[in-house]
Amino acid sequence: MFKTIDELEAGLRSARYLPERGLATALYLSLALEKPLLLEGEAGVGKTEAAKALAEATSSRLIRLQCYEGLDVAHAVYEWNYSRQLLHIRAAQEGTVSEQELFGPEFLIRRPLLEAIESKEPVVLLIDEIDRADDEFEAFLLEMLSDFQITIPEIGTVSSSRRPAVILTSNRTRELHDALKRRCLFHWIDHPTLEREIEIVVLRVPGIPDRLAGQAAAFVQGLRQLDLAKPPGVAETIDWAQALAALGREELDAGVVEETLGSVLKYHEDFAAVRDEALVALVEEARSVAAAGAV
Amino acid sequence: MSPQPAPSEGGFVRHVVTFGRILREAGLEVGPGRISDALTGLDCLDIRNRDDVYWTLRTTLVSRAEELESFDRAFAAWFLRSPSRPPYRGTLPIDKPPRLSERTRTDRTGTDGRGGDEVTEIGWSRHEVLRRKDFAAMSPEEFAQLSKAIAEVAASRPLRRSRRLRPHSRGRTLDLRRLARRSLARGGDPIERTFRRRIEVPRKLVLLCDVSGSMEAYTRALLLFMHAAVGSGRGVEVFVFGTRLFRLTDEFRTRDPEEALAAAARRVVDWAAGTRIGASLKTFNDTWGRRALTRGAAVVIVSDGWEREDPALVAREMARLQRAAYAIVWVNPLKGNPEYQPLAEGMRAALPFVDRFVAGHNLASLEELAGVLAGIERRHAA
Repeated sequence: MFKTIDELEAGLRSARYLPERGLATALYLSLALEKPLLLEGEAGVGKTEAAKALAEATSSRLIRLQCYEGLDVAHAVYEWNYSRQLLHIRAAQEGTVSEQELFGPEFLIRRPLLEAIESKEPVVLLIDEIDRADDEFEAFLLEMLSDFQITIPEIGTVSSSRRPAVILTSNRTRELHDALKRRCLFHWIDHPTLEREIEIVVLRVPGIPDRLAGQAAAFVQGLRQLDLAKPPGVAETIDWAQALAALGREELDAGVVEETLGSVLKYHEDFAAVRDEALVALVEEARSVAAAGAV
Repeated sequence: MSPQPAPSEGGFVRHVVTFGRILREAGLEVGPGRISDALTGLDCLDIRNRDDVYWTLRTTLVSRAEELESFDRAFAAWFLRSPSRPPYRGTLPIDKPPRLSERTRTDRTGTDGRGGDEVTEIGWSRHEVLRRKDFAAMSPEEFAQLSKAIAEVAASRPLRRSRRLRPHSRGRTLDLRRLARRSLARGGDPIERTFRRRIEVPRKLVLLCDVSGSMEAYTRALLLFMHAAVGSGRGVEVFVFGTRLFRLTDEFRTRDPEEALAAAARRVVDWAAGTRIGASLKTFNDTWGRRALTRGAAVVIVSDGWEREDPALVAREMARLQRAAYAIVWVNPLKGNPEYQPLAEGMRAALPFVDRFVAGHNLASLEELAGVLAGIERRHAA
């Protein structure tokens, strides 16, 4: 589909996603080698967005499996439609319902993994926050990712006609199995550079004044240098820039930052750390950094 | 997918294979599968572009964030043959210090297997005296006799209710899947009811142990306890701190406790030095708490609470920890003394955030700790 990394980069850009070269390379290799890609990084650096953009760039359907503790096969792969089954048995004459009939495809509820494997159209399968699922599920996933087939005892084995592109994300709340990591390519997404973050803001917040975009990005970069409980990610920068643009601002000043800081910082301690003089100093710095960048 | 090298590229293939060997020596898990991925990947692009080569090798040969630094160093040394900075600019979330110190703190003469076996043969009752004896006052021989008992005590773990449902005769949730199948034989009448209920699984356990000078008499016993806790199953994380924090979970996965302690001694550079509880807790909250390691975990802090620096920092970081953790247990060996009063400033600052405050100076108190952990509930009075 994409012959070079540059082509993929252009494709992602038209999906309004600006990856660093390393991420573009990782996505490219994941497609070329048909291997799942494990993305890690701080919250809000765009792990999930990367999968969405990849789906758009490759004109694929995005199928997302959000992991959580207790996720099991019934919610990830398939489940039988029990109420329909029971109704079906009642409706039919006694003794005329065969087991085969009852466990046929029309009573099957397809969950994300089965859907991704059965799909005839190209698919990007996003397995989000895999570290939240428990070990048992990880073991199951391992099996599925190695041969892309799923066995339903009542029906048989379903295998994929074309391998879906698979992106896994993890926030590293726990260490994943080595075996699972071995199946995957790996990429660590970092916070973007200032130049790249400005580009991202300009791309994602249409109509934002250039100067404001530069100052907002520089301000967030400044925040990341501080010792915060939760440093803001690109997602927060975009939210914030949207808020600033919606307020019709042309430039950053201490007052407007104070009013809107809630879209950047999510913890009370962090608010306390970015107050008064600290806040004024950060705004000053952001303005001068942005001005230096513009020259 | 076969990485058959073109003749002209033979040199490059050898280059990559050798690079893989270097990475293995640096501790990365680089199997033939990864090398093959790397070569296939490189085949897809213009290898004159050094950046793309870097990213391709990194994506295919590295499998965890902790390895990035080693990879970058190896890449700079091997491919660039210069000490220049590699393209990776970020800061790692992990505190991976160089193994500077080879210092081990105790002589290990008294802890060979002989004494340990004796405990099981003789049983516990005859060791009642030892059970109550302060760890600090024990001879190496006495200590060796107890090490096995410590390990047994550590094996009990707090449980939490899993979100997973398992078939259960006294469950509350209908098991529709079974119900449908069993009703089949009875014309759709749900005669046999089948239920599921939540099962209990071990709760995440985070152990933080002070190994500073003031704790020296107790560290060995408590680390043995922690080593055994790691061996009790998944979901246990061990950290130690003096002036800074070290994660020892990987070192403690070794089965042999002596080997584990030796590995720990090689990792930790400041055994028996000063204490910076607040700063260490902060590191923990920043790098591990942020990754939600503490969320829902039972957290055990072992320390006498002698803080060298700002007690206010201890309070602040304890508050953060408390919000994420399921419960916090503070183990202070000094509490074994009946006249103990929490006078140390760090201890006083931490206490409001502690759910249970226990001693841990002898085997009996470790049993108490295990009991507390097994039955822990949120927000006990300290």
